[in-house]
Amino acid sequence: MSEHDPIHYYLKSLSKYLSRLEKTEANEVIREIESHILDALELQQQNGQKEDVDAILFGFGEPRKLANQYVEHLLQGTPPPTGFKAIQTVKKGATKSLYYGMGLFGFAISALLLLVGIGKLFYPEYIGVWSAAQGNSVTITFSEHIYPNSDELLGYWLTPIAVGLGGGITWLTRSVLRVLKQNIH
Amino acid sequence: MMTKHENLNEKWDVQLRKGSLELVILAALKNRTLYGLEVLKLLHSFETMKITEGTLYPLLDRLKRDGLVSAVWQHEGETRPRKYYQLTQQGEQKLDIVTKRWRQSVKDVEFLIQNPGPKSIQLKGE
Repeated sequence: MSEHDPIHYYLKSLSKYLSRLEKTEANEVIREIESHILDALELQQQNGQKEDVDAILFGFGEPRKLANQYVEHLLQGTPPPTGFKAIQTVKKGATKSLYYGMGLFGFAISALLLLVGIGKLFYPEYIGVWSAAQGNSVTITFSEHIYPNSDELLGYWLTPIAVGLGGGITWLTRSVLRVLKQNIH
Repeated sequence: MMTKHENLNEKWDVQLRKGSLELVILAALKNRTLYGLEVLKLLHSFETMKITEGTLYPLLDRLKRDGLVSAVWQHEGETRPRKYYQLTQQGEQKLDIVTKRWRQSVKDVEFLIQNPGPKSIQLKGE
């Protein structure tokens, strides 16, 4: 029955992509398509043609694309009833606040880090990371007064580290915002 | 190798089918009870309706969900079970409505084709 292997493989793959449907619905789709393929093969035989499983499967298209057509009504969802428009508006507002809040938070942190990194070059004595309270605390300062009882950490290494981190957080924020924009709106 | 002319025909058929396929399926099932392969064979006997299996079956599924067709599995004698489709009352009503619009569209398009410029067309209400 080796000529039926592609059919088995096709239906198995289709079944996987139909998993969003209820089991009985998905089984019915598979059963109907299997019945069609076997009927079409018999028809080819009756017409004296060579059995061509691939041509029949080609007509159905890729299992994933075929399955999508069966499940797309589930993905579209039902529109809310007319009286529920207010909820939609609130939801939309929340999404926008999340989007802008996330942007503000991410870009502010990266701007601060860039400022610290670049500032260290111009005001090496006032800007830095200090280990305070005998190493129990770490503090970043922008101060004329050096933190009491503290030792400076990193020194000029602060610049590349802070600039690198700032750049990394900018990139991360932009990626997160891109995803938010696509999915939540 | 497809000629440019055939290619254009094919593209036109695909465009037109996008809007008219539902009507075509409903019309094919008018007073007939057919299973998928029979619908496909029927449509393939017309020059402009050669749709694929991958188009037909999901569409039949949607028409069934919309209540325009009903489907029953039948198992006769030695044959394998087949899913037969027929129009519901709602499907018949929709077919009537859409048929009228289709005929009106054909009439309108035909009228425009038959009445090229530069002679102006008497518009309704003028």
